[in-house]
Amino acid sequence: MVKKIIKAPITSVLLFVLAAVLLLGSAVGTTRAALSYYSENYTSRVEMDSIGVSLLENGEKVSWRDYGSSSDGTWSEATGALLEHMVPEGERFLLGRVYPEELAVTNSGTIDQYVRVRLYKYWLNAKGEKLPELSPDLIGLNLVNVGTDWIIDEASATQERTVLYYKGILKAGDTTSPLSDTLTVEDSLAKKVSETTTKEGAVTTIRTTYDYDGVQFWIEARVDAVQTHNAEAAIRSAWGCEADIAADGTLRLRQ
Amino acid sequence: MKKSILLGIAAALLILTADLESTGAYFTTYAEAGGGMRIDLGAETELRERFSVWTKHISVVSKENSEPVFVRVKAFCGSAYQLVYNDASSKWSLGDDGYYYYQDILYGGTATEELSVKIQAERDGILSNLPADADPADFNVIVVYECTPVRYRENGEPYADWAVKVETGSTAREGGK
Repeated sequence: MVKKIIKAPITSVLLFVLAAVLLLGSAVGTTRAALSYYSENYTSRVEMDSIGVSLLENGEKVSWRDYGSSSDGTWSEATGALLEHMVPEGERFLLGRVYPEELAVTNSGTIDQYVRVRLYKYWLNAKGEKLPELSPDLIGLNLVNVGTDWIIDEASATQERTVLYYKGILKAGDTTSPLSDTLTVEDSLAKKVSETTTKEGAVTTIRTTYDYDGVQFWIEARVDAVQTHNAEAAIRSAWGCEADIAADGTLRLRQ
Repeated sequence: MKKSILLGIAAALLILTADLESTGAYFTTYAEAGGGMRIDLGAETELRERFSVWTKHISVVSKENSEPVFVRVKAFCGSAYQLVYNDASSKWSLGDDGYYYYQDILYGGTATEELSVKIQAERDGILSNLPADADPADFNVIVVYECTPVRYRENGEPYADWAVKVETGSTAREGGK
């Protein structure tokens, strides 16, 4: 009786249909699993994408570049200017006077990061050309928190350039301690002079003219940020320098 | 069979290469800003005088875009005469060196308050006004003024270093009615 049922053509058809249903069922299951898998993977990528960094001057955001959380590779950025609000309205810049110039860095992304700042300072003539005979040391950007929060890379320092690394991990949303607090331009610049005497009627005037009248000083701050995951390799790859990362995340330059 | 193995190895290498590439890409970003300031040095000042009733009315004017300066003034005359200074604004003060110092910073495009210098005759230590018919050709009054750039101490306090003079002027003009 059993053999008869098995050998019946309808049984073969039913078995075939059942196999097909099972096969389809398993395929649907795989598809669902695949969807679920990609969904998790996608969420993870969004978190990793959101690296961003901002330069702050006297507490105000000046420049930034924040990558978006979408997968289309877009970012938000702005490049501002330093020293725009240094001299009060109606006044002019004065040699020897101490002006506030507090520079700091904010992690404006969503992942932790290491940061460094490259500072440049130099002189330009009226045509915008560099004046190598004027020492950048006359531009006194006073660095602070050096040794405690920031370290200077002495190996890459020049008269014009100073490179500072923030020692700790800069967590998402956090701001570093300031790396500078004031700016003063030394008045020795005004000591290179010549005199001219003029006589107009009864008035004789001896006028001092300055060799460096009309020169312009310039400072630049370039902020770099890199992920903390696999940091040593990331720093080597992105910044071209060797650094050791301690267990607590503290960065130390390998000299 | 051999072809399948080779294809398998190639596929594995491709997968490995893709993996290496992703390991070499790190998340980085940057931001930068620059800025500068032009430094204008030098001041162009001018001594303004007005003469009336044997009195010189003096003020120092700084031209537009001149560097901020401190100003001091001194007048000289022959021994038969005496100069009496009068400062209605109370902004001029006599220094130990005989100069009158203006207390405010003189910014570009501004002028000091007036300092008056009256010429009087002196006889036996007694000062008297000159007679109306005195001959102006008999005496000269020379006014000297000096300007020095404003300097700042570390605490932000402005000061004058009179060893550095941005401008020195003198006028020699005969008195007149």
